[in-house]
Amino acid sequence: MDPTTLIGPSSPLGYPAPYGFLVFFKVLGFTLHMIPMHLWYTGILLAMLLQWRGGEETRRLSRRLMQPMPILIALGINFGIVPLLFTQVAYYKVFYPATILMAWPWVSIILLLTLAYYGVYIYVAGLRSEGATPARWRQAIGWVTAAFFLLIGFFFSNAFSLMTNVRAWPDLWLRESVAGAPLGTALNTDDPTLWPRWLMMFALALTTTAVFIIVDAEWLASRESAEYRATARRVALTVSTLGVIGFALTGSWYVFGTWPEEVRAEMMRGPMRVLTGLTALGPGLPWLLILWQWRRGGTRARAAATALAQVLVLALNAISRQIVQNVELRRFLDVTAEPVHMQWSPLILFLLLFVAGLGVVAWLLGRLRTTQSVNPSG
Amino acid sequence: MHYPWWYVPFLTSPMLIAIIAVLHVLVAHYAVGGGLFLAVETQYAYRQNHREYLAYLKEHAWFFILITVVYGAITGVGIWWTIGVASPLATQTLIHIFVFGWAMEYVFFVLEIVSAFIFYYFWGRLDPKTHVRVGWMYAGSAWMSLVIITGITAFMLHSGRWPDERTFWAGFLNPQFVPQVLARTGGAFLLASLYVYLHAAFKAKDPALRDLIAARSARPALLGSLLIVLGGIGWFLTLPESAKAALVAASTLNILVVLLFAVTIAVFFMLYLGPYRNPGWLSPGFALLFFTFGLVAITTGEYIREAVRKPYIIYNVVLGNQIYAEKVPELRRIGYLEGGTWTKAWVSHHYPQVLNDGRIDPPRLLMLPEEDQVKLGEVLFLHHCNDCHAGRRGFSAVGQLLRGWTPDMVRTVVKHPEKAHFFMPPWAGTPEEAELLTKYLLRIAHPRPGGMRFGEER
Repeated sequence: MDPTTLIGPSSPLGYPAPYGFLVFFKVLGFTLHMIPMHLWYTGILLAMLLQWRGGEETRRLSRRLMQPMPILIALGINFGIVPLLFTQVAYYKVFYPATILMAWPWVSIILLLTLAYYGVYIYVAGLRSEGATPARWRQAIGWVTAAFFLLIGFFFSNAFSLMTNVRAWPDLWLRESVAGAPLGTALNTDDPTLWPRWLMMFALALTTTAVFIIVDAEWLASRESAEYRATARRVALTVSTLGVIGFALTGSWYVFGTWPEEVRAEMMRGPMRVLTGLTALGPGLPWLLILWQWRRGGTRARAAATALAQVLVLALNAISRQIVQNVELRRFLDVTAEPVHMQWSPLILFLLLFVAGLGVVAWLLGRLRTTQSVNPSG
Repeated sequence: MHYPWWYVPFLTSPMLIAIIAVLHVLVAHYAVGGGLFLAVETQYAYRQNHREYLAYLKEHAWFFILITVVYGAITGVGIWWTIGVASPLATQTLIHIFVFGWAMEYVFFVLEIVSAFIFYYFWGRLDPKTHVRVGWMYAGSAWMSLVIITGITAFMLHSGRWPDERTFWAGFLNPQFVPQVLARTGGAFLLASLYVYLHAAFKAKDPALRDLIAARSARPALLGSLLIVLGGIGWFLTLPESAKAALVAASTLNILVVLLFAVTIAVFFMLYLGPYRNPGWLSPGFALLFFTFGLVAITTGEYIREAVRKPYIIYNVVLGNQIYAEKVPELRRIGYLEGGTWTKAWVSHHYPQVLNDGRIDPPRLLMLPEEDQVKLGEVLFLHHCNDCHAGRRGFSAVGQLLRGWTPDMVRTVVKHPEKAHFFMPPWAGTPEEAELLTKYLLRIAHPRPGGMRFGEER
């Protein structure tokens, strides 16, 4: 069966804004989403490991990782809405069929996320009421929560790899359907890109978590001892090293072992070669900065530079991923060729609200900074 | 028609939307009204320097975050998740029309999250003026979220001028918009008070404090009741004719409307006699009963609101079975199997012999062996009918509905479902395809129940 016969016609409504505008917000949103998402993706697992096997200082670090987790999860979910919204606008022809083919795992994300989120609250409540070492049952919940987030990541990797793996649709559909209606039980596990993509995101998440540990130690842990900060830098270096090695291994597997010829040709020539190279080598920069801090000691400026470098790494990954996604889809459809029916006034209103919203958030954070400096013991 | 149809045995996939939507709406209104409650009452408590009340409000804010920021936010995303897989064409259409509406709502959503966390986590660390201001920021953002999302959901019930003008504002400012904003704002006030009563009944140990909470929350609840009545009247007056007719014609809806009125009147009386006139009545049992009535009322109201939309998902734009209303004549001409992306692929793969010059030739469908015709009838049933009906067993199963029907009766309804029941979508296929569907339906129909006598046997 020709898989392109499974792609529906274009929407008569067209895009409400030029493709470039939609994809800009998709990439920006995904970059912002990755920051908190990475922290729960590997941060919770790391916190559980440190709690289980760590000494006094590393358990303190475990606690510091978990305490802001409820807020990070809320922000991560929130930031995830934007890329998903613009994905549905620009990639609707492949997004809906892919998620319908795996509807049950896709919908189960909501249940898993709810349980995991409450799991985090239960664990954090234990940190407040029971001190540094929460009760065993709370620790068990912490482990289950970490596993749920890994599973959610696996389902996301499935959905987004299946979105571009249109070639696999016919077999999955014919195998798991009733009279042409999918059962919603398919997963994209036969796709060779799935596993390295999932693992690569895990490795990249480790590097973000390492950077968070550094930033937390220098900016937010002013009441902790110098010994704690040294421990944090050591753990951050270990985690970052593991992340960078993992990223190199899984990235090589992904690029050299699974990329189709046309993707490799596109990403390895001209200006794209520079982008691919920067994306591949990018995680090395924060790692070097963490290494430097481990050897020479940390400062707020160094930690801020490390954070900035990591955001750059994530942005490079999001941009490269976006380009690869379009190349993967190119043989099936051209997402840039849809008609555009501009919605000027809602677009302008959105942009105005967006800027105003940023202003309000800045004002709120400014108020907090003032309050904290007035009342540092709070 | 452009996307695969997700088959969920017994339940049907759209019922999953209904389940998640109901679970969400019970908290979503509290997320709006509760924010206003916290802003107003914190301001009052600061002004009165009422330390016990402030302590209670902090405790309530924690309860509020646990319920709304976690459960409310995720189930809200869950609705979006589920409509994408259970109602993809309608979702695609809504997103293409209202993407900037959702984007605007997202901005307010960010403000909600940030201000909610600051409001709670910096309690006692912000000066009262700033603290109250943050509370109002949350309340304002949450209400704006309600306004924006209501514009979109109201559009589904009445698309207004959009089919002619096809602009964002023609869709957003639809006839149902203002009535539904009023009713939902009222629902938010009322439901928030019920949540407050429930929480206070268990958590506020001091009777004087409990009485204060009961009395103060009665006013927004009564105002909410008034807004619900006003919004409800406006809602009814601006309903499309088909929705008004469905409200009267469907016996299930009749019962639900009576239930809604009965429970709502009970809530009003309980509110007036209880917290408003006799705050001391606020015991855990009373609060729990009150809360349950509130949930029943809002669940029933939401169910009615959804049900009267039939046969559309988006009035006059997208039918319940994922067909653009304007495409029905074309599908009747070329055939449903030919017009649907995935049905065409399925038929081409399994029955290439029915193709003529790359297109499905309807007369050839009836030349297939009987079993294959029934199989194709099942394909038609799942894609054309399964959005509302399960097969042999399950939710509104046709196998049960057609008990004892003759082939001619089934054939007539298949060809003209919208004439048999105005709340059903029209048949969107060729006469040959209607025959295939008829054969399948007769195969799964249960026999007429035995033992029924009408005098002829004597």
